[in-house]
Amino acid sequence: MKTKLSAFSSALLILAVTVLGACSNVDRNRGVNNPALSGQTLVAQVCSTCQGFTGESVSPEFPKLNGQQRAYLVAQLTDFKGHVRSDAKGTAYMWGFTHLTPEQIDQLADYFSSQAPMHRPAVPAQSLARGELIFKSGLPDLGVVQCSACHGAQAEGNATFPRLAGQHASYITAQIQVFQRTDQRPRGEPMKQVTHLLSDEDSKAVARYIESIGEPR
Amino acid sequence: MRKESLVLRFRLLSFLFGLVLLAGGQAAHAVPSFARQTGQSCVACHAGGQFPELTPYGRLFKLTGYTMGDRGNPLAAMVVADGTRTRNNQDSSGNTLSPKDGQFILDYGSIFVAGKLADHVGGFAQFTYANYDNQDANGNWQGHWGSDNFDLRYASRQVDANRDFIWGLTLNNNPTVQDVWNSSPAWGYPYVSTTQGAFGGLPATPLLEGALAQQVAGVGAYFYLNQHLYAELTTYNTAKAGWRFLSMGNHTGDANHPLTYLDGSSPYWRLAYTRELDAHNFMVGLFGMNAGVLPLDGNNQPIFGTGSTHYRDVGVDAQYQYILAPHTVTAQFRYIHEKINDDTLTLYTGPATLNSTRLKVSYVFRNKYGASLALSNVSGSSDPTAYAGSANNVPDSRMWTPEVFYMPLQNVRLGVQYNMFTRYMGSATNYDGNGRNASDNNTLYVYAWAAF
Repeated sequence: MKTKLSAFSSALLILAVTVLGACSNVDRNRGVNNPALSGQTLVAQVCSTCQGFTGESVSPEFPKLNGQQRAYLVAQLTDFKGHVRSDAKGTAYMWGFTHLTPEQIDQLADYFSSQAPMHRPAVPAQSLARGELIFKSGLPDLGVVQCSACHGAQAEGNATFPRLAGQHASYITAQIQVFQRTDQRPRGEPMKQVTHLLSDEDSKAVARYIESIGEPR
Repeated sequence: MRKESLVLRFRLLSFLFGLVLLAGGQAAHAVPSFARQTGQSCVACHAGGQFPELTPYGRLFKLTGYTMGDRGNPLAAMVVADGTRTRNNQDSSGNTLSPKDGQFILDYGSIFVAGKLADHVGGFAQFTYANYDNQDANGNWQGHWGSDNFDLRYASRQVDANRDFIWGLTLNNNPTVQDVWNSSPAWGYPYVSTTQGAFGGLPATPLLEGALAQQVAGVGAYFYLNQHLYAELTTYNTAKAGWRFLSMGNHTGDANHPLTYLDGSSPYWRLAYTRELDAHNFMVGLFGMNAGVLPLDGNNQPIFGTGSTHYRDVGVDAQYQYILAPHTVTAQFRYIHEKINDDTLTLYTGPATLNSTRLKVSYVFRNKYGASLALSNVSGSSDPTAYAGSANNVPDSRMWTPEVFYMPLQNVRLGVQYNMFTRYMGSATNYDGNGRNASDNNTLYVYAWAAF
C-alpha cells in the first residue's frame, strides 16, 4: 500500500510540475533570445539579476546603467549581440544575447536611460584633487585629453560618449585598461589614443573622482 | 584484473567521452549545458571558475529554476582522473588500506542532463559511473553506475522597483543539494576529493553531511525575498517505489550499495540572510533536519518495528565572497550539532552528540590560479559501539586541507590536495591502541577534472 501511495505521490508531483511548467507567462519568461519578450520583461527577469531593477548595480563587476546615454546603450548592446565587444567581462556575461531584436535593444536603452542617474558612494573618497585635475584639464604633456571634453563637464555623457558620473571606479579603471592594452572595444578607439600614456595610478585617481561626482544619495 | 572487466570499463568511459563529444560542439563550461543555455561563461555562475562554488548570479540562476536562457541541448559530461597516496597505507596487521594507492587512475565520470525544461521549470540531474567502485570475491574491480545529485524545480520571480520575490518548488534527492550557498554540505568543500583513499575525510560526520545523498526523495518549497531573506521547508522520504529514479544504483539488499530507509517523513528547514555590499557578498544561515533511519539486517534489508536511529541536526553557516576581477576571495563556515538516540542500540550504545565544524578559505587569481585552506573538525560524546576503532571510543578528529589548483581552460582543473590529520579518533598518537598515529592517515591527492 505504501509503495502504491509513494508511486502515486511521485506521479502527482511530476504531473503538477509539468502543468505548472506548461503555464507559460510571457511577462515572467527568462529567455535571453526570445523576440516575443518585451524590454521590460528582459529587465525584470534577466538584466536585474546582475544590474538591479533600475540598473544601479551593487557589485562593481557590473557597470551601472541607470541614466546612461541612450545612444551608448544601443551601441554597446549591438556590439555584444554581434560579438564585436570582446573584453573579458563583456564576453563572460553578455555574449549570450545574440538574438536581441532592434526593438528590444531600443526598449532596453529607453528603460535604463530614463532611470534616475547613478549615485556617488555613500562614503566619500579621499584624495580627489589629482583625478579632478585630469578630468577637467587632462595631462597635456602626456597627450591625455581632459575627460570632460567628450564626456561633459559633469561627466553626464553625450550620445555614444557614456555617462561616467557615479560609475563604479573599479569598472572605469578596468575599462581604461581594456582601451589602453587591447582592441577588444573597437568603438573605444579614441580612448586608446587619449589614455595610452595614462599611468595606472592616474587611471585610479580619475576614476575615483568621476565616481564621486555621481548624484548625491 | 580480468581483461573483460577492463574492456567493459573502457567501453563505459568511452561512452562517456562519446557523450562529451556529442554535447561539446560548442565552447565548454561547467555545467556546460547551462552555459550553452545562457550563452555565458563558467565564471558568470562559478566564483573564480571554481566549480561548484556559486557567484551571486549563479545563486539566482539556480533559485529561478535553471530557467534563464533558452532551452537547448541538455547533455553534458564530466571526467575525473586522479591519484592518491596515503602516508602509511598499511594497518597494524599489515593489510593494505587503499588498494589503488600510488596509481593514477581514470576514477569516475558523470553525465548531466541539465537545463531549462519549460519557461518556469528546469533541472539538474547527474548520473555517475565509478570506475573502481568495489572488488568482487576474486579481487576484480567492479564499476558502478548510479544516480548522483538531482534537483528539479519550478520557480517564479516577481520583481519591480520595490520588491524582488522568488518562490519555487524543488524535488531533489540529497538534503542541501538544493541549497545555493557552498557553506552547506552537499556542495560544500571539498569539491573534489579522493574516492580511493581510506582517509578522504573525517571518520564521523552528522547525517546531514552526506549520509542521505541519493537515498531519499525530497519535496520542498522556498522563497527568497529582496535578495535578503531565504526560507525553505522540504520533507524527505525514502527514494523507493515511484521515487526510485532518485536512488538509482542503490538497492534494497545490495551489499555494496544498500538503500537507506528513513522511518517516515523527515523535515529539513533552512533560513538565510544575505547582503551585498560593493564587491562583497555576505550570508549567514541556519538549517536543520530531524530524521529516523531504520536498521538494516545482515542482508541489508530494512527492519521494521524495532525502532530507528534518530538524528536531530541543527546547523549554523556563513559565507563571504569578494568577486572583482582579477581577484576572487571566498570563505565558508559551517557548524552542525547533532543529537542521536538509537532505539536499536546497534549503532550507538546510548544517547550521543556530534559536533562538526568546517571552515574553508580560497583565493583565485584571474580565474586560473587558485589556492585554498580548509579545516574540518569533529568532536562528540564517547560511544564504544560507534567508535570502536578509537582507543578512547571518541570520534574527535581534526584535518587541515591545503590545496592548489590551476585551470588552464575554464572547463579543466588540475589540482593537488593534502589531507593532514592532527588528531584522529581522539588522539594525535596511537589513536587505535595499536600504534597508529593521526599523521599516518595524511593523504596526498592529485586530480585532473574536466567537463564538456
